[in-house]
Amino acid sequence: MQIEKRFTLPKIGIYLVLLVMLTFTLMPIIFMISASMMTSRQILKMPYTWIPEGIAWENFAKAIQGNDKTYIFVRNITNSLIVSTAVAISTVLIASLTGYGLAKFRFRGRNTVFMMIMATMMIPFEAIMIPLYMVVMALRIQNSYIGLILPFLVSAFGVFQMKQFLTTFPTEFLDAARVDGMGEFGIYWRIVLPNCKPVIATLAILSFRSQWDNLLWPLLVSQSDKMKTIPQYISSFALERSTDEGAMMAAALLASIPMFILFMSLTKYFIGGSAIYESRKG
Amino acid sequence: MGTRKYRGIERKQARWGFVFVLPAMVFFSLFSFYPIINAIYTSFFDKRALSKLPPKFLGLGNYIRLFDPSRAASDLSFLNSLKSTMVFTLGTFIPLLIVSLILAVFISNLSSTKTKKFLQISYYCPAILSSVVAATIWMIIFDPRGLGNQWLNALMNTPGVDRRWLVDPVMEQVSTMVIYFWKYIGYFVILFITGLASIPPTIYEASTIDGATKNQVFWRITLPLLKPTVVLVSVMAMLQCLKTFSTQYMLYSNGAPRAPINVITFNIYVTGIQQQYLGRASAMSVVLFIMMLLLTLLQFKTTKSENVEY
Repeated sequence: MQIEKRFTLPKIGIYLVLLVMLTFTLMPIIFMISASMMTSRQILKMPYTWIPEGIAWENFAKAIQGNDKTYIFVRNITNSLIVSTAVAISTVLIASLTGYGLAKFRFRGRNTVFMMIMATMMIPFEAIMIPLYMVVMALRIQNSYIGLILPFLVSAFGVFQMKQFLTTFPTEFLDAARVDGMGEFGIYWRIVLPNCKPVIATLAILSFRSQWDNLLWPLLVSQSDKMKTIPQYISSFALERSTDEGAMMAAALLASIPMFILFMSLTKYFIGGSAIYESRKG
Repeated sequence: MGTRKYRGIERKQARWGFVFVLPAMVFFSLFSFYPIINAIYTSFFDKRALSKLPPKFLGLGNYIRLFDPSRAASDLSFLNSLKSTMVFTLGTFIPLLIVSLILAVFISNLSSTKTKKFLQISYYCPAILSSVVAATIWMIIFDPRGLGNQWLNALMNTPGVDRRWLVDPVMEQVSTMVIYFWKYIGYFVILFITGLASIPPTIYEASTIDGATKNQVFWRITLPLLKPTVVLVSVMAMLQCLKTFSTQYMLYSNGAPRAPINVITFNIYVTGIQQQYLGRASAMSVVLFIMMLLLTLLQFKTTKSENVEY
């Protein structure tokens, strides 16, 4: 502790750097919130006044009504919620099932299966989107939820995460349940699943967020306004309202609210979730 | 007799294990392996989406076209895409790596747990916004009358200069890097903090007793022990940067010039989906795939051989 004292001077520097970064990371978010309540004229007044003069409710009205007053925003954000939730659920279910199978059962080809699933991590979605697009066209499932969800049903990373977690799961529990006459699927559903809540939460959040953020695949699959997702909505709204900065920020803010709520209530899984990537280095 | 019964259970068990992994195997075969094989196959043909004629076999024609030096003069060529992807990747991941490492070391050395937590969460905040929202916010900040010019001019004491953030080719690339850096910095800070936390404190105690200065401790102990994390984070950051799309798409669709930010993914999208040259876009996809494959293999190799034992 005494050694610490010699470094009081650089400490000011450290705090300064941390403070500058804090301003840099938070300033644009605060800007979004404050600008969403301003008229465009106030937003682009130099220098920028951070406190809005009253709340410009019409920004939010415009954001929700959309470009042609069809309230397509509501439909689009619902689409995003449906797709992201469906992907989160299916990823958790399939990844845990596979991870359990790989971690606790011995069967021929188990390692091959694991290696093959791991190998898919090296295939980026961006490299296979053209063939996937052709498949979607051939199956005529463009402009449908199935088309939006299908390529993301499970992720290799999810399988890996579940397998790592379940390898340390005490086998005695499973054997005890077997002795009691529980079926294999029952064991998975009633013993394994309820005992991996933290991993499930992390995985669900990661998959939910990746779809909430996804712009590229919906651009390929959803051409009709009704089936567009929220990133597409923001993108086209920003294009057609390019001079109405207040309404743009209101739309951006509204589109971020679900993630904000999720982040506030489940912060530790967000932060811990990125830390779990760390285990990949093993 | 006992062993026979045991074997029966084992076989039953094996069957269940197989049943459990089956859905994932079917999924990955259909949605990862088949598409990549299909992409490689299609890349040898002149395939167009709306054409009714059977696709013409080109051999390596698509690839030769992509890497044809005489096309490099054209702004929207694939060679130019490679260049802008490289510029973006290097320009983003190097600052990301260095700054996040510095911030993580600083944060780890703070004494108050509350401040630590607060800073981690605050730095992480941009990551919860979607890329599209991030790009929208920054487009307004980069407006000629926006905060970008105001703050930079205040910092550099150059009143009234317009940096042409979204107009000038170089500045446009810088803008995409800033947006990306902003979005992912907190994420990488947390990765490094986790890495730092896994170094046992006894090592630091021993070195301070031996009289090492803080500088020495960082360069001789922290950094070498952190090497696996550094490798992991840099490869992850590079892979992430190679896949960038939304930021570039947003800037372009709102009027910024396309050539400087025509990264590979964006080029694949325009060529394959908008212009419907599926064969040519597939060839680009295969090139992207090979680049990322090499990076991942490099990561596996380095992490395998350099596992640090404390």
